[in-house]
Amino acid sequence: MVDTNVIVAEGIVKTYDDSGVPVHAVRGIDYTLTKGEFTAIIGPSGSGKTTFLNVLAGLDTPTEGKVWLSGKLISEMSGRELSDFRRDHIGFVFQAYNLFPVLTVEENVEYIMLLQGIPPAERHKRVMNSLEKVGIAEYATRLPLQLSGGQQQRVAVARAVVSRPSLVIADEPTANLDSKTSGALLDMMRKLNEETGMTFLFSTHDEIVIQRAKKIVVLRDGKLDGNTSPEKFE
Amino acid sequence: MFCRLVKFAWRSIWRNGRRTVITGLAVGMGLGSMIFYEALMQGMSEHMIQTTTESWMGDAQIHRDGFLDTKRIDLTVERPDSVLFMLGQDSTVSACTPRILSPASATSTTELKPVTLIGVDSETDPAVTMLEAAIDSGSYLSGDSTELIIGYKLADDLNAAPGDVIVITAAQADSGLSSNMFFVSGICRFGSDDLDRYSAFINLNTAGRMLGIPGSIHEIAVRFAESEMGADTTLGFWSKFSVFRNSALGWPELAPQVSTMLNMVDLGMAITAMILFALVVFGIVNSLFMSIFERMYEFGVMKAVGTRAGTINAMVILEAFWIAVISTLTGSIIGLLIIWITSRTGINFGEFDVSGVVFNKPLYPILKLSRVWIYPLFTLILTTAAGICPGIHAGRLNPAEAIRKSL
Repeated sequence: MVDTNVIVAEGIVKTYDDSGVPVHAVRGIDYTLTKGEFTAIIGPSGSGKTTFLNVLAGLDTPTEGKVWLSGKLISEMSGRELSDFRRDHIGFVFQAYNLFPVLTVEENVEYIMLLQGIPPAERHKRVMNSLEKVGIAEYATRLPLQLSGGQQQRVAVARAVVSRPSLVIADEPTANLDSKTSGALLDMMRKLNEETGMTFLFSTHDEIVIQRAKKIVVLRDGKLDGNTSPEKFE
Repeated sequence: MFCRLVKFAWRSIWRNGRRTVITGLAVGMGLGSMIFYEALMQGMSEHMIQTTTESWMGDAQIHRDGFLDTKRIDLTVERPDSVLFMLGQDSTVSACTPRILSPASATSTTELKPVTLIGVDSETDPAVTMLEAAIDSGSYLSGDSTELIIGYKLADDLNAAPGDVIVITAAQADSGLSSNMFFVSGICRFGSDDLDRYSAFINLNTAGRMLGIPGSIHEIAVRFAESEMGADTTLGFWSKFSVFRNSALGWPELAPQVSTMLNMVDLGMAITAMILFALVVFGIVNSLFMSIFERMYEFGVMKAVGTRAGTINAMVILEAFWIAVISTLTGSIIGLLIIWITSRTGINFGEFDVSGVVFNKPLYPILKLSRVWIYPLFTLILTTAAGICPGIHAGRLNPAEAIRKSL
């Protein structure tokens, strides 16, 4: 594998069993994501975006095919190795904010570094730095429910990037946000991408995300239906 | 990390505070009732032991081998003076008293009743038995050879009152019959059918002469320095006094029905505790599973961001631990509070009889920490352990599936 490839997927098939009826969510996809990309996977609802992202992130196992993450074959990793790999290499942003409601903003962002065993002083420094980058440092001691949806998603982004992963995967990150907040969030993420070189991979059907993506991957009925730039897509 | 998990778990259980309070109260009330029940049974057990040993039996008795089985008049204690001297020198013994026992009949002017004739040493007996204290009317033995004390039920059966004449007839050691006339000097009330209806007490020397065994005795009742010694099979007393063809026995062997009853009480407690703890475990497991299903998304996210299964498992167990702490504290407070109140007021169950022991006074629960501590400890351990299964389930969740199902 070439070093610049963050993800390499070959012949990915994912079939669910829905009460005895097979549901083909992903139908044989070959895909490569390279370092520093800011790519959006788009497609209508039910096209298999989330399933495809889950397989790429090692959250779900493909029915067929192989996935290499940063050069490592996922299927050869044990559950524990895969957990540790996700912890150290992948940041996640989910559509429903995904914050732990009983932890403060600071504790939420700190959580992954806690799992990594990073010392408290270093954790605090990096948490505040991340919160400042997403413009929400003054809310560090608040609980998620005391924040707006946009603010919560910013915290989620801070948590996803604080441990400096090589890849950030965001599943419909703007699904619950208004257009203004979505735009601001995407601008912030793109800035992080440009400043740090972190790779971002989104699933979305939000026009605002699509406009800001550097690359678009179209998924339709579980298959890749093109690989293009936002301009060409428009 | 562990401290954070402890804090995380504590906050998590208060996300649905009402459920935590209800679960804590349910487990706590169960524990509280177990603690109270244990104390009540302890009170009942001690009442039974006290009634059995303090009223008449003593903590231990010494007989000639075979006497208890045959009740033969000629089977008297071997070397009674030596045995009584040794008892007087023994540091575990606080008092002892000799007795003579024989089946007899008591005849009044109108009735004839079978009794156990008991010769009592009026000087040493009050330190061992409650006979003197149990005198309801009349007076205790003063040494006069015509004195007789009978129980109030026997007095009713014989239509006798203090001062009335009763003739006692008993078989002598040489197979002859002896009849003596006595005057009822006192009527006693022990609260035991055996003593109140079927016993007649006279002076020891009179009994010896009447039965043709002057200077001999059938039984020595012993009071120990500490009442628990009576049931202590490791005590050197038993071997020391089981000599000269005599046998020394503690109250559990002398009153096996009481001993069996106490064992049944313990068994009942154990069964009740097992049922309670099973309910506790199922209740907590159910509560934790409900909590996990409600927080499926959160657990999915935790796994997605790299939390190991073991860490999630530990967190759920810590949640169970906190519920256990709350339940144990609540239960202990409830239990101790009920014990504190009822140990002052007592609980009146009316008059009833268990294994020949009459309960006619309020029962007072007795808190024995040496026995009670096990219930809070078990609640703490089992409630915490109840988190293992839900914890494993949460740890094994497929992150993608958990997130998808909860969306």
